[in-house]
This record gives sequence, C-alpha cells and structure tokens, in this order.
Amino acid sequence: MEQIIANGLYLGSQYALIALGLTLIFALMNVLNFAHGQMYVLGGFVTYTVYAQLGLPFIVGLLASATTLAVVGALIEKFLFRPVIRKSHREESTMLLAAGIAFFLDAVILLVFGEKQRGVPKIVNGVLNWDFRIIMPYDRILICVLTIFFIAAFIGYMQYSKTGRAMRALAQDKVAAQLMGVNVARYSMIGFALGAMLAGLVGGLLVSITGVNLGMGGPTSIKAFMMVMIGGAGVISGAIAGGLILGMLESVGLSVLSQYGDITYLLIFVSLIIFLAIRPQGLMGKPWG
Amino acid sequence: MKRRNLLKSMMLAATASTVIGFSSLSALAANETLKIGFVGVTSGPAAAWGISNVRSMQARAEWINEIGGVKIGAKTYNVDIVTFDDQKDPKRAIAGMEKMAQEGIHYVVGPNVDDGAAAVRPVAEQNGIMYFPYAFPKSLYKAPASNAVLGMVANYQSGPAIYKYLKDTKGVKKVAFVAANESDPLSQRDGGVAAAKALGLEVVSGNITYQVDTTDFTPVITPIIRLQPDLLVLSGVAPANAPQLIRSARELGYQGLISTETAQDATVLKEGAGELANGFISVGGASTPEIASDAMKEFVTRYTKMFGEYNDESNTKVYALEYILETLKANPAAMSDVKAFQKTMDTFEAPNPYMKGDAKLKYVGMTSFGQKRQVAVPLVVNVYKDGKFDTLFVAAVD
Amino acid sequence: MSRSKQIIGVAAFLFGVFVLVPLMIKLTGRWDFYYTLTSVALLSIASAGVWLTFYIGRINIGQGAYALVGGYVSAILVVKYGVSFWLTIPLAGLICGCLSILIGLPILRLKGVYFAMVTLVLTEVAKLTALALPITNGAKGISSIPLPGAISIFGLTIIPDFSQLASTKLAFYYLAVTLMVLSYAGLYRLVHSRIGHLCRSLQQNEELASSIGVNISYLRVIAYSVSSFLGGIAGAVFAAISQSIYPSSFQVADSINFMLNCFLGGLGYVFGPMLGTLVLYFGWDLLFTTGKFQLLIYSSLLIALMLALPNGILSLRLFNRKKAEP
Repeated sequence: MEQIIANGLYLGSQYALIALGLTLIFALMNVLNFAHGQMYVLGGFVTYTVYAQLGLPFIVGLLASATTLAVVGALIEKFLFRPVIRKSHREESTMLLAAGIAFFLDAVILLVFGEKQRGVPKIVNGVLNWDFRIIMPYDRILICVLTIFFIAAFIGYMQYSKTGRAMRALAQDKVAAQLMGVNVARYSMIGFALGAMLAGLVGGLLVSITGVNLGMGGPTSIKAFMMVMIGGAGVISGAIAGGLILGMLESVGLSVLSQYGDITYLLIFVSLIIFLAIRPQGLMGKPWG
Repeated sequence: MKRRNLLKSMMLAATASTVIGFSSLSALAANETLKIGFVGVTSGPAAAWGISNVRSMQARAEWINEIGGVKIGAKTYNVDIVTFDDQKDPKRAIAGMEKMAQEGIHYVVGPNVDDGAAAVRPVAEQNGIMYFPYAFPKSLYKAPASNAVLGMVANYQSGPAIYKYLKDTKGVKKVAFVAANESDPLSQRDGGVAAAKALGLEVVSGNITYQVDTTDFTPVITPIIRLQPDLLVLSGVAPANAPQLIRSARELGYQGLISTETAQDATVLKEGAGELANGFISVGGASTPEIASDAMKEFVTRYTKMFGEYNDESNTKVYALEYILETLKANPAAMSDVKAFQKTMDTFEAPNPYMKGDAKLKYVGMTSFGQKRQVAVPLVVNVYKDGKFDTLFVAAVD
Repeated sequence: MSRSKQIIGVAAFLFGVFVLVPLMIKLTGRWDFYYTLTSVALLSIASAGVWLTFYIGRINIGQGAYALVGGYVSAILVVKYGVSFWLTIPLAGLICGCLSILIGLPILRLKGVYFAMVTLVLTEVAKLTALALPITNGAKGISSIPLPGAISIFGLTIIPDFSQLASTKLAFYYLAVTLMVLSYAGLYRLVHSRIGHLCRSLQQNEELASSIGVNISYLRVIAYSVSSFLGGIAGAVFAAISQSIYPSSFQVADSINFMLNCFLGGLGYVFGPMLGTLVLYFGWDLLFTTGKFQLLIYSSLLIALMLALPNGILSLRLFNRKKAEP
C-alpha cells in the first residue's frame, strides 16, 4: 500500500509539472498546444547532450533545457501563433498550427538526435528500502523533490511577481486586463515561453530516470491533455490536481487490476469519460471551456 | 503581396525538393539499376525499427555499388533502395506498396508491424511483389498467402528455444510475462505463454500489460515482482522500453532472469539501465565477436561511418537484402517474375557471408508455415554484459 | 450564385472524378494514384463527419473511433456471419450512428476543449476495447477478409465479384468516389436545410438558440450521429480494401488528421474537408522521394500554409468566386 502511494506521488508530481505548462498556455491564449510533448522531448535531449555528451553537471543541463525551450517557445509564439490568432476567424484553427509544429519538432528531433532511446548516467546511486514496504531509488526521490520544488516556485511566481499577476489577470479576463494596461502581446509571449520552459524542465529532469526518445512526444501531449481535463482547463490548481489524480489512478489501477492486465487503461479512460459527463468543466475549471 | 510571396516560396521549395529527390535517384548511372523497396516506419514513436532496417539496407547497397555492383545473369546492377515511410499506419503501408508497384519494384523489405504486413498483402499479391515483413502472424506465410517471406526469427520459434535453454541450464521454473498493450507485443506474449506451458513451466503471470507511452514502469512491474518468478519475459518489447523495464525490476529487488525475443541495442541498454542490464537475454543477429565474419565486421564499420553510430538491431536486419540479391543471382529470371523467385526459394542455398563457419543462406519455415517462407537467420541468443552482447547459444530454425 | 452555374459545377466535378481521373491515370500510367485517391475519398468522408461536428461548434477528435468500429462491424459481419459486404456498409454506418447517440447524449453537453479531449480519449477507448474483446479477435485482428462479392438484380449483374476482377483498384476507386459524392451531396443538403441553419445557430450561440425554442440537445445528437455514420462507412470500406482490420487500423493520429483536414480545407466551407484531405494526404505521398527529410518538409509546408491561410485553403479569393466547384 505504501509503495502504491509512493509510486503514485512520484508519477503524479511529474505529471503535474507537465500539465502546468500546458494549462498556462491554454489559459493565456486559448491554444491547445499539441506540440507540448515534443517540447518536453526536446528538453530531454538538450539535457542529454549537455550532461551525457559534454560531461557538464546535471544542473547545467537542466538550465540549458529550460533556456532553450523558453527561447523556442517565445519564438513560436511571436512568429507563428500570434499572426495566426490575429487572422483566423475561429480560434480553434490554432490546433492545425500546433499540430504542424509538433510534426516539425518531431522531424527536427529525429534528424538532430537520432531514432534511439537515450539515457544519462544515474545522478545518485542507491535505493531506499524501507522494510520492503517502500522501495524507491534515491534518484527518483531527488527528482520528485525537485519537481515539487519547481511546482512551488512556479506557484509562488504566479502569485507574487508582477509578471505572474499580469498573466493571471490576462487569463481571467483578457479585455479587462487590457483596459487596465496589461500588455497582452508581451505577456502572451512570456507565458508561452514559461509554459514551454516548464515542458523542457520536466524533460530534463526525467531524462535521468526514464531516458528520452523521439516517440514520447505525442503520447505525452495526450496524457497532459487528460490531466488538464480532469482538473479543469486553464486553472493552475486544476493541473496539479489532475496530474496527481492521474498518477494515483495509474499506480492504484495497475496494482489492483493487475490480474486483468489488458483492461486497466480501458477502465481509467472510461471512468474519465463518465466523470466528465457528470462534471463537464473538470474538478476546478470554469464552465467556459 | 506578402501572401503571394509566401506561396511562391512554398511552391519553389516543393519543386526543389522533388527535383532533389529525382536527381538523387538518377545519380548512379553506369550500371543498370536494380531497385529494391522498403515500406516501413521511419518517423514517429516506432521510428527506430524502420530506421535500423533502412540504414542496414542503404549501407549494404552502397557497399555493393562501391565494389562495382551486383552481377545477376549477364548484367551488372547497382542497387538502389527506394524507401517509403508508412508512419506505422496500415493505410499508408498500402499506399507505399502501390508506390513500389508503380516504380516497377518486385522485391520489398517491410512492413515492420503486424497490421501493416496484413494490409499490404492484397496489393503485393496482385502486383507481383515479394515482400519481407518483420511481423509474425502465421497467416501471412501459410498458403494461400504466397508473397510474404518472414525476414527474421519469429518469437514462437525463438521463445521455446530460449525457455528450454534456461530451464535446462538455469533451473527456471516460474515464468512471468509483461507486454505492451498493442497488437504485436500481445500476440507475441500469447505465443510465449503457450510455449512456456508446453515446456511444463509454471506461468505465474501472463496478462500484465503497459501502455506504450508509459514513462514509469515501477507500478507495472511491482505486482509481478511479488510473484517471484525465476524468469521475466518482456514480450515484444520496444528497444526504448527495455532499459526502463529492466531498471524498474532490478531496483525493486528482482533477482531472477530477464529475457526478450526481440533484438535490442547495447548502447541503449547501457545508457538506460547501466549495469542493471547485465545478464539481460535477447535475440541478436551475427555481430557478436564469437561468430561475426569479416564481412559482418566490415558491414558494421561501413554502417558506423555512414550514419555515425551503429544500431545492434540492424544485425537481424542485414539479411533480407542479401537473400533477395542472392536468390536473384541464383535465378536471373526472377528479376521480373516472382513466380520464378518462389520456385527458386524451394531449392536455393548459398553461403552465409556474415557468419564464421559454413552457415548457409536458405529458405525455411516448413514446420511453422508448411511452405518455405522464411529466411534462415541464425537464431543467436545474446546476453548483455557491460555495454556489449555475448553469445549465449546459437540455434537454427527449420 | 445562380442555379445553373451550380449544376454546371457539380456536373464538371462528377465528370472529373468519374471520367477524367481514370482517363488521366490511364494516359500517364500512374496506377498507384488510384489507391491514393481512393484513400483520399474515404478519408474525406470521415472528415466530412468531423466537419459537421465543427458546424455545431464542437471540436471532434474522435472520428477514428467510429471508423474503427465501422471497420470491425463490416469485418465481423462478413467473416463470421457471411453477410454480403454491400449490406455491411450501411449497417456499419447505422451501428456507428446508434452507438454515437448513446455516447453523444452525455458527452455532447461538454464544450470546447473538454469535448475535444473526451473524443480524443474515445479513440483510445475504441482501440483498447478492440484489443480486449473476444469478438474482435483481440490483438490478432481479423485478416484475410474476402473481397466484396457480386450484386445482381433479376439475373443482371450490377456490380461484379471483386475477386474476379483483374484489378480491384479501379473498382474500389469507383466505390469510394461514389460514396464520397453521395456523402457530400447529403451533407450539402443537410447544411442548407432548416436543420442546417439551426445547427449553424448552435455554432454561434447555444443559449440564444435554446431561448428561441430550438431543441439543441436533439440537434446536437442528430449531427453527431450523422457524423459518426460517415466515419463508420469509411472504416468499413477500408477494411475491405486492406482485407484486414487491427485495433491499430485507426488510431489517435487518424482522429487528429481528420480534424486537421477540416481546418486545412476551411471550416466555413462544406467542401473544405474534401480539399483538406486531398492536400494533406497527397502532400505526404508526393514528398516520398525526399526520404528522411519528408516529415520536415511536410510539416514546414503545413506551418507555412497555416500562416498564409489561417482560415483554410478555401478562404482564398480564387475559390470563393466559384464556390460550387469544389
């Protein structure tokens, strides 16, 4: 039982950090970023290159991932999303753009980093074994702690910094925020960069545990969508809750239903649909969708 | 104005790319060209399978062309590999096969997965194309199916051999299986479970699955470890997932053996699981030092030079092209007539250039399919140790 | 637009797909285009369904689920119960339509991204269900499905037995194109009917539509089930062409592509999804000579197209002038 909760917590914290970036971009720009998973993969490969190939410290790799993705995110927002949003009649049109970017990043990652699964040397050795009730390698615990730290830092930033407040105002009511003198274009760009940076950061963190390969992008995006949907789209607390819930669901489901193997995920998905049918805006979402 | 410019540049880009594509096709001119096709997945999540495949074909083709081409009948040909990326979508695979037919190609390597291989069957049979899939369903190779040739050792052939070896030498009694929740791995798992039961092994867990996109395998593995199997079989595991599964199992304290029936890459295992992967048993080709011939070593060198890094999965994938060319040499009439090819398959035999000793290239499959629709690849069972594979044992398939 | 112009446009289109295309293929010898165009026709039928859900203001990323169900319904009926393939086309559509009413009733209350994501999950559910059920033959799929048989009325053969034909390419092409023409004719009719106008009112403002007495939940379910019907028949024909169906025959990537087809063609135009499918599918096929740069070029063109024409290809003025000719 303790093991299941520990697994769920570890899984949930990393899911939450992935979902945060997605939900931030959605809240600010109403863009469903299909390329989020690819950004995560890119982050993983950057850390891999810096840490495993160049032999620099892991933390440098993380920083490199975060900066690279922040720059990529800012550029994508400025040169791709902004003009399209301005010109299109229906804002869903950005989905095609996002999907195109996802394909593009996939192609670039394949050409630059190759098709193989990549992994980095362990950052900490050893396994915590608490009486066989909880078995958890130290590097997982470290990553889990770091993840929670980053989540807390992000919340703090959104809560107390000027930029964070401006972005929250923007997410709440774009027109009102604009009238109050918030520079929409500027904060959209910062928000997108921040969301992309979070994706890159998780990629960098997780490369030390799960490694990275170019195929992880699409499925990661879809998982992130699900978390955001459980918690409520565009709500920060919702993304965290959604991530934790999905992590727990997987952990508990896989243990309880292990003898039915093939249908664990089927049940998770079906219950998700039923949940949303009952509560269409997720746990904490606003009913505007 | 801006829009028009953009459109113009797009059109330019499109034309330019087509021109580049065509010119690269016609670049090698001196000899006549023999086109061999590839239809498989070279982008997206499963890209590794197809890419290791395509690259081994391209490396071999370039090598052949460099030494003056391949002599079939009275003529000498340069080999040209025509590739089509089906994105692991069976509908696209059909389109790919149609493209091959359009190019006048009669010999195609691929597709890489079950659904694609089944979907292209009608097209291949109608257009007279022999294809060499890396997919295991027996219905593809049993009559009335006629044009598919299994390009590797199937899991229902390698599985029993591995389990028997481990039962006899390591005293394995209890087996557990874990597979991705997808067609290919699930079919392979079912085959593995049946084989293990037939050998009298106790299957303690045979239905635990994971989603292909799993990033943390600890919850998946935990219930299996509780059952304390002697052998954990990762059925049809993708090279990307193998190190993570091994790592999770070992970190949870699992002491028994771990094996799979698919080909793996040593570098991937080293990076992903480090020394935890030591002792991991997988199926390989012929590049382990004990059995690799000089030709195999040269192939690996050329491959590495061409693409920067070798992929051990290519060991099992170097053969299909060799079989096609050698069979064509044996019967030049097969160049445009697959019926002649099929006839030659029954009696064909040539030395295996990639293995030391007197191993032969020949078609097999009578036991599994009732007709010779499989290439005889040596069943090389490897064990991983400190960044490379050692040969555990070598067996043959009939 | 005048009536006669419209008729000329439709006639030109029909002439094009039924006479001109086969003629061109015969002249150029590009036989592989038959399958490509067959795929385009079938995928555009499924995309037409997605477009209809866009029309009522819902982003549908779940059409792959219904295509898969349709494929399985047809395959199972043909293989296990010996039903004629021709009968299974409407049956596959109807079963998908009924299924979508059951699923649609609860989930159509969702809006925006929530609906989009639920339908996305639906594709995954369909795949996992196909893997788990015994009737679908689980992971092994259903293969070696017989080709469509003959239809004759009063001893007169209307459709020959496909297995007797020298090449099934042309036969499947005509089948797919006929279905496409019928589907789009139906869609056009629906959109320009009273129901269609009401549907458009949903797209703009559901509350308002509701307040003037439109039964919105009824309309939504109708539109969604028509959409799924189209997905089902496309899937059924695909199963017959590949003579096999697997849980992975239609997956999330397909669902996303169906949606992208609509965006690319233009959400405001009935014939948008047809053009979008043609461009997206043909684009990938034509780029196959570029080898490993295929995806890079393809995605770059996609992004460039989106930047130039964010409202779809049909928003080009050129097309707007003669809208009837798709």
